[in-house]
Amino acid sequence: MTLRSQLLKGIMDGCVLAVIEKEPVYGYVLSKKLQDIGLVDVTEGTIYPVLLRLQKKGFIVGEMQPSEAGPNRKYYYLTSEGKEELELIIEEWDNIASPIEKLFKRRGNNA
Amino acid sequence: MLDTKLLIEQNNQKRELLTQENEKYYSDMLLYIRLQWSLSEQQSEEILMELLDHLLEGQSEGKTAQQIFGADPKAYADEIILQLPNEERRKRLPFIAGLVGNLLGWFFIIRGVILLIAPLFQKQEVNESFYLLSAIIIVSVIFVIILFSIRIIFKIISNSLFQEGKSRETVKVGLVGAVGMAIILAVTYFLPDFGPKIHFPAYASVIIGAIFWIVSRFLEKKR
Repeated sequence: MTLRSQLLKGIMDGCVLAVIEKEPVYGYVLSKKLQDIGLVDVTEGTIYPVLLRLQKKGFIVGEMQPSEAGPNRKYYYLTSEGKEELELIIEEWDNIASPIEKLFKRRGNNA
Repeated sequence: MLDTKLLIEQNNQKRELLTQENEKYYSDMLLYIRLQWSLSEQQSEEILMELLDHLLEGQSEGKTAQQIFGADPKAYADEIILQLPNEERRKRLPFIAGLVGNLLGWFFIIRGVILLIAPLFQKQEVNESFYLLSAIIIVSVIFVIILFSIRIIFKIISNSLFQEGKSRETVKVGLVGAVGMAIILAVTYFLPDFGPKIHFPAYASVIIGAIFWIVSRFLEKKR
């Protein structure tokens, strides 16, 4: 596993929840959106184990309905528990992201 | 939500749209996931359909299954399996009851028919009774052997997926069947008669067998 995909693995739940919060999507569209925001080397398939896990925890629910293109697709919706979880993840992310960023920025100044 | 049988049917149809390479990759994964008999059938079929839809959309953009799901299909399928919930007990029970009923049904029907036609071929009188305890032991042995063989055969098929060449597997499966059959025959032959002797005439055997069979068909339909 590459370093980047290892780093991503821990925060993937948050990414998926954030996309679904904006609008209900099905798997293929979800992977497209993740790529569109710049997470290009996430293997598309990795979202499905994540979706199953989030569903099991009750953070999202899937519902079969016709897609824009026509055929039925399973659209995922954020639940209220999912929204809480997403807020928690974002809070935790902020707690580690800013100190680490400070730490890494400091390197340049000392050199 | 779509029901399981419909999902399986749609899956069969859509799979034909895959390229040969993608079909091989996907079908191995499909078999591997379906062989996990303790998982929720509905949930398994739903995720299999999502994966297939995704693969088809990707395929139309020129992507391969490897690019979408990664180079290691087994590892990917294992990740999916890890997240799938187990089948609820209330759904599992009719399934097992149906299997047991079906087996008992055939057992009684075949016994009855053999007893009915045996007099045509031999002069001495046919023995229409059996010994309760011996019979219970033999039937239990048959069930255990069948369940055991199914699990081993599932395992053999599972191990044969995701690789080239499957010639040895047929031999292994045949061997499992032969050994199972040999054990059943040996037990039937060597087990002494004991327990109360019960008179169970041929026609009664056929009727009771038919009832078991019909009930098991009904349970299967209701699922």
